[in-house]
Amino acid sequence: MRVDMFENIWSYRELFIRGIWVTLALTAVGYIGGFILGLFVGLGKLSKRKWIYYPAKYYVDFFRGTPLLVQILLIHTALIPSLFGHSLGFFVSGSVALMLNSAAYNAEIIRAGIQSIDKGQMEAARSLGMPHNTAMKLIILPQAFRRMIPPLGNELIALLKDSSLVTVIAASDLLYAGKVVAGAYSRFWEPYLTVAILYLILTFIFGKIINMIEKRFSNSYVPSSRKSISSDRRSRTGGDKR
Amino acid sequence: MISVRNLHKSFGDLHVLRGIDYEIKEKEVICVIGPSGSGKSTFLRCMNLLEDITKGEVVIDGVKINDPKTNINDIRREVGMVFQQFNLFPHMRVLDNITVSPIQIRKMNKKEAEELAHQLLKKVGLSDKANAYPEQLSGGQMQRVAIARALAMKPKIMLFDEPTSALDPEMVKEVLDVMKQLAVEGMTMVVVTHEMGFAKEMGDRVLFLDQGILIEEGSPSEIFSNPKNERTKAFFSKIL
Ligand SMILES: Nc1ncnc2c1ncn2[C@@H]1O[C@H](COP(=O)(O)OP(=O)(O)OP(=O)(O)O)[C@@H](O)[C@H]1O
Ligand SMILES: [Mg+2]
Repeated sequence: MRVDMFENIWSYRELFIRGIWVTLALTAVGYIGGFILGLFVGLGKLSKRKWIYYPAKYYVDFFRGTPLLVQILLIHTALIPSLFGHSLGFFVSGSVALMLNSAAYNAEIIRAGIQSIDKGQMEAARSLGMPHNTAMKLIILPQAFRRMIPPLGNELIALLKDSSLVTVIAASDLLYAGKVVAGAYSRFWEPYLTVAILYLILTFIFGKIINMIEKRFSNSYVPSSRKSISSDRRSRTGGDKR
Repeated sequence: MISVRNLHKSFGDLHVLRGIDYEIKEKEVICVIGPSGSGKSTFLRCMNLLEDITKGEVVIDGVKINDPKTNINDIRREVGMVFQQFNLFPHMRVLDNITVSPIQIRKMNKKEAEELAHQLLKKVGLSDKANAYPEQLSGGQMQRVAIARALAMKPKIMLFDEPTSALDPEMVKEVLDVMKQLAVEGMTMVVVTHEMGFAKEMGDRVLFLDQGILIEEGSPSEIFSNPKNERTKAFFSKIL
């Protein structure tokens, strides 16, 4: 009986595969957009100018202080129809909602990352005559990004999971595939367990990739110190290559 | 070259500099000494507007730096600064630490800037460290790179804020030697220091600051052998 059910699920595999792609696409668009927007909002929260600071602050407060589910419904059923006169489909609404939401979380990560860089770095850059924005771009952000990698990685995995909320606006994502099968057979264990396992595999893969990136950018700025030692040795025996 | 006129600086209610007047001439080496918290760093930082000036003025080469019309970045290009904590950029090689500003700000081309950097590294005795990262250097080496980095902007004046205070004793000399060489070459320098030996040997004038007031000023021999003010005497009796 149970084996039969998994066979039924297998016959829906294309729906699940499509669901995985939709989930990944929503996550990717939401995350990349959320990162870029979050960078500006995060910088805004560091601004001394009130007319920049307060909009950034209220933005973060709103999107962190209200449920994502509510934001998705507001954007899909109210905001977009009133801006464009009609719905633009679940993908636009869903990715916009995920983007706006993750921007608020990323903004806080980016702000904290920038603030964690020693004040002396900005002072040294300014004392060399760099304007504030140049110093931010060349000196502060490259250092801050390294420290942001772990929390930004967590944010990516959180967003991947949260993207399942767009099912409420009939998005054909991974969770939706499970829902369809559950509805078709009135069975709940197998379809939703399948969905859970597929999410688990996705978050596991993302976790591995993030771990690799973290390792690559942790503790030392010296690019792969091991390699440079061995190439030193080679150049010592084989003459100076430079 | 630098005129400081009635310079006041407050942090909120804390009145740190209370009316400092002083003229620094070209090629002079000015050493600033005084107890901790007397405002030495603040005095130095006002000269390149790392702190905004509460009252009074600082004029460099006829340009009032704390005039709203003055471009701060233009001023800072002419005033090099060396910090107690080095503040090298850890994500850049030594070479890039030195060239980043000439390339970005002076619009020097890369090749020219790197030639300049190699010259400066030779001058501070670190020719072999161009491709190293700051974390691979000792404190003394980092501070010498920081000096080279400041010199790469070809400043007219160099400010040093306790450049050797964060160093292990055996590294102090290598940094002081670089500074001496600069002084001999005629760089105008303002040096906040606890190295009385350096002040005695290289200082043209020594300024004693206490509680935000310039208490006493004179040649090293006047200040060290024959201080007039009671507070200066008390300070020396504590440290010597
Ligand atoms: N950014 C700031 N905000 C508030 N107070 C400050 C700030 N910078 C300095 N101060 C205060 O101003 C006073 C003078 O500080 P300053 O750093 O100029 O002293 P200093 O003579 O350089 O001392 P030290 O020898 O310890 O370096 C101190 O009481 C200090 O706490
Ligand atoms: Mg100080």
